[in-house]
Amino acid sequence: MSRVNLEGVSVHIPVYDANTLRLLRMPKFGRAKVGTGNVSHAGARLIIHALSNLDLALEEGDRVCVIGHNGAGKTTLLRLIAGIYPPSGGRMTIDGKVMALLGQNLSPNPDATGYENIALIANLFDWPKERLPEYIRDIEEFTELGEYLALPTRIYSAGMHARLAFAMATIQVPDVLLIDEAMGAGDAHFQLRARARIQQFISRAKIMVMASHSIDFCRAMCNKALLLAHSERVFFGDIDEGFARYAELG
Amino acid sequence: MLQAFDATTGAAMPHSGAALWLGLRTVRNLRKGLTWAWLDTVCQYRRSKIGPIWETINVLVMTLGIAVVSSAVIGGTVTNLIGYVGLGIIVWTAITSLISEGTTAFVRNRDAILSSNLSIDFYVARMSFRIFITFCHHLILYFIGVAIGLIGLHWAALLAIPGIVLLFVNGFWTITLLSLVCARYRDVELIIRNLLQLAFFVTPVFWDYRHIVSNRRFIVDYNILFYFLEIVRAPLLGEVPTAQTYIVVVSVTVVGYAMAYLVYRRMRRDLAFYV
Repeated sequence: MSRVNLEGVSVHIPVYDANTLRLLRMPKFGRAKVGTGNVSHAGARLIIHALSNLDLALEEGDRVCVIGHNGAGKTTLLRLIAGIYPPSGGRMTIDGKVMALLGQNLSPNPDATGYENIALIANLFDWPKERLPEYIRDIEEFTELGEYLALPTRIYSAGMHARLAFAMATIQVPDVLLIDEAMGAGDAHFQLRARARIQQFISRAKIMVMASHSIDFCRAMCNKALLLAHSERVFFGDIDEGFARYAELG
Repeated sequence: MLQAFDATTGAAMPHSGAALWLGLRTVRNLRKGLTWAWLDTVCQYRRSKIGPIWETINVLVMTLGIAVVSSAVIGGTVTNLIGYVGLGIIVWTAITSLISEGTTAFVRNRDAILSSNLSIDFYVARMSFRIFITFCHHLILYFIGVAIGLIGLHWAALLAIPGIVLLFVNGFWTITLLSLVCARYRDVELIIRNLLQLAFFVTPVFWDYRHIVSNRRFIVDYNILFYFLEIVRAPLLGEVPTAQTYIVVVSVTVVGYAMAYLVYRRMRRDLAFYV
């Protein structure tokens, strides 16, 4: 039974700067369109309130797209659930294996070939050895990268990285899958295939949380929307209503 | 599961036995670190024909240069000195890599730390093993030295194996500790780099500690790096290191892991904020 439960969770990101005095001359964040209105000082240190007092309960079968302006806290939320950022306050409970796909790619070594990176990821994430050939076939088939998989991943285009990363992240069907932006780089054909793959995912009743600005992609992949503004939850629920509210925000 | 909640383990981990649990996890992750380091080395070979051997050539050139200079300044013949100086530089290179590259282990992997929930042991293990693999390349020079008769072959040389193990076991805590501290306090990296330059002259890498003036013995006696140098170099030159040397090294190992554990407990949670 996988579950993500946040009760009043906040994430405060300290900004470490050797010369904090300089911050006095910084423009006020409040007036900026980008970012959160919440910045405070703790002694000489600047603290950004990237998420404030967030409640969120996700159950199996929830596929949530997180929407909001740049700097609203989307990536912070994903990093929080992934366990990369610690919560500064509140309670967070996560049951299940989390797979985070937050960067542009999932290749630990760009000089190594696609196949080598797959083998390395398999090793790092404890994929069962006996199933590796099967997984590799699956990845070959899904990514349609052909002989590119035998070339160093540093030559891949953003879209090719997206294909490979998505294939690797979903191969083991994690309990909670987190995706940030990256997938937008894929072409329409890929997005169609990604959608089909996520359908399998739903049939196994797992949780997915993704951040994206692409309305079409969100609609295709998700059944719920979480709208964030200024580090706070504005709306959580039906995806169409979520986008309507987002449009109202301007 | 364990990997996913690394960042929050500070709260989730049971207090007693936490260090033990952490140690077990790390040991389990070592093999994966080796696989990663191996792939790094393979890629290095792919992009330049002789890969890490370039660094070995660098060590060879340094050895020849310093052996000639120090035989001129300090006395002795080049052939007598070359084994001592050469092994000194080989071990010293490993020590300084562990310390100076160790400071960058997390900063360098910033993107990976911010985008995946992999355990941070992997970055430490990967770096330790990569330095170890490079060290093994340098050891080729020792075997060449033995083959052409510049260095004698002794049974005591076998004692170098536990010495090397101890050296890299200590490298692991050093990297963990320094990379956390240096991610948070960026000046420390520069301080350490400066100190290492000084340490090269202070530590008997290219000069014989037996020649030191008796009232300056403290330079060697209180130099921890010297003991790590000795547990590998002395056996390869046919001398059995003193018991005192092993006592110091083992004590440093214990104290080092304790320090690294305390720093890890305190800083691990916020690592993503530092990088």
